[in-house]
Amino acid sequence: MSAPLLETRALSLHAAGRPLVEGLDWAVDAGQRWCVIGRNGAGKSLVLRALAGLPVPRRSGEVRWQGRDQQAWPVGAAAALRALMPQQAQDRFALTVERTLALSEVVPVDAAGAARVRRTSDRMSELVSALDIAALTSRRVDQLSGGERQRVALAQCAVQGAALMLLDEPVSFQDPAHQQVVGRWLVNGGASPRRAWVASAHDPAWIARVATHVLALLGDGRWQAGPVGAILSAPVLERTYGCAWRSVDGVWLPA
Amino acid sequence: MPAHDLAREPAALRIALVAAATLAVAACALCLGSGGFDTALILALRVPRVAAAAGVGSLLALAGLSLQVLLRNPLADPYVLGHSGGASVGALVALLTGVSLWIGAAAGALVAGVALLWLARPALAAADDASPRLILLGAMLAAIFGAFSTLLLVLVPDQRLRGAIFWIVGDLSGADASLWNLAAALLFVALLWWRGRSIDRLMLGADAAWLLGEPVRRLRVELLVLASLAVGLAVSAAGAIGFVGLVVAQGWRLAGVLRTRELATLSALSGAALVMAADLLARTVATPMELPVGAVMALIGAPCFIFFLARGVR
Repeated sequence: MSAPLLETRALSLHAAGRPLVEGLDWAVDAGQRWCVIGRNGAGKSLVLRALAGLPVPRRSGEVRWQGRDQQAWPVGAAAALRALMPQQAQDRFALTVERTLALSEVVPVDAAGAARVRRTSDRMSELVSALDIAALTSRRVDQLSGGERQRVALAQCAVQGAALMLLDEPVSFQDPAHQQVVGRWLVNGGASPRRAWVASAHDPAWIARVATHVLALLGDGRWQAGPVGAILSAPVLERTYGCAWRSVDGVWLPA
Repeated sequence: MPAHDLAREPAALRIALVAAATLAVAACALCLGSGGFDTALILALRVPRVAAAAGVGSLLALAGLSLQVLLRNPLADPYVLGHSGGASVGALVALLTGVSLWIGAAAGALVAGVALLWLARPALAAADDASPRLILLGAMLAAIFGAFSTLLLVLVPDQRLRGAIFWIVGDLSGADASLWNLAAALLFVALLWWRGRSIDRLMLGADAAWLLGEPVRRLRVELLVLASLAVGLAVSAAGAIGFVGLVVAQGWRLAGVLRTRELATLSALSGAALVMAADLLARTVATPMELPVGAVMALIGAPCFIFFLARGVR
């Protein structure tokens, strides 16, 4: 059996003098779709940053990609393995959506130059229509609405072509229809037996539709991970959010 | 031509047009001026001066472009942020100690650049809008270096030192025949072409570029060293001329040119044209007197800075 795509060993993160997660021993295998839940400030974004290999204030423990410590990966090879969609894009220069996506592509180098370009542009047009951003490609990224920019950020992450996508709140600005659009893409286009993603999200109903597994950050360093059915339960949701939950026709709502 | 039409022109055509315009400006700068059209005069006096103007203009435009990417700030300019001031101080120190002028100037620019990066660390790391802080920090660095230049000029009444105007505002009247600056500008454009895609990715953000596999730290060091060398060469030839990088590179960005390769080529060409034109103005508007070209550039550049700010460029 091959090593998991992503694995943490005794990963601990602290911020502002308090533990966000302690002793996280966790693995993400190819083919899995994970959501990370936790109340505001529980450390979802920092966990994702640490998983991506970006600097975080205080951390200990190990993160392994395909069985190899993330710090041992050359920066170029790491780009083909994992991608991160940040919560906030930093648009200091007014590039167009098309240019932003083109720059975000990490295409493995092979001899068949022309064929590769055609394949890439096919994949790109499929992706922009699947995420409903085809009409935006000539617009400047700083002129998009929050929801549009968020879908473009997801597309950026996707065109990187990494086996593991780390998504920081991919649907927080999406209207209900586009939550569906993004969710559908995450289940169909964004997943495959060779790939996996980890996304932070809040809505249990949405999570139940798109995820196979859930990692719950309880806010005091404790955590719980498992299949979506086991974690989306009244006791775990209560411990995660600090309020009572009830299930109405199979949909979890705060009581 | 409106910006959106210009943006649709193919890059090669646009570069060819700007190259032709730059040559036309060069021809005007060679043929016009006190003394009129006189072959001997042109060869002896104007060719070296126009060549110096072109080289200095290209280098300053490219330095501005590099700093804009490095600091993730479209308003960055070596003069506004104190790099030129640092280069002036470095060149003055080099004069006093007998070190080669351009080496001192480049070292001074590098010191200013490192100081700004270090001081601006918190601002650059923050995801929020750090630009006003960065520009203010740079302005204060420029003030400090300006004061040092003035002190050095007062303390050292040496015949070898050129006047205060030269070091603080910039002046081409005594510029040597220097094809080195033009060659350096060409090399600079070639390096930016070579690194074009990586620098484009740096515009997406340092984290984003790193996640895409770019060696961000090395790229930033390269940009800082290149910009410092360019500013050093330019300042040792013509003093601290301001706003070229700002007007040229940001102007092209507003016109819709966003790729580093094209931006570098166009900036080098139009930076050369801008300083040649400004120098032509400086030596013709008040004949027989000559104005310092730096003052003319500031009269062009500072309003552009204000215009960019008013347009919402931060």
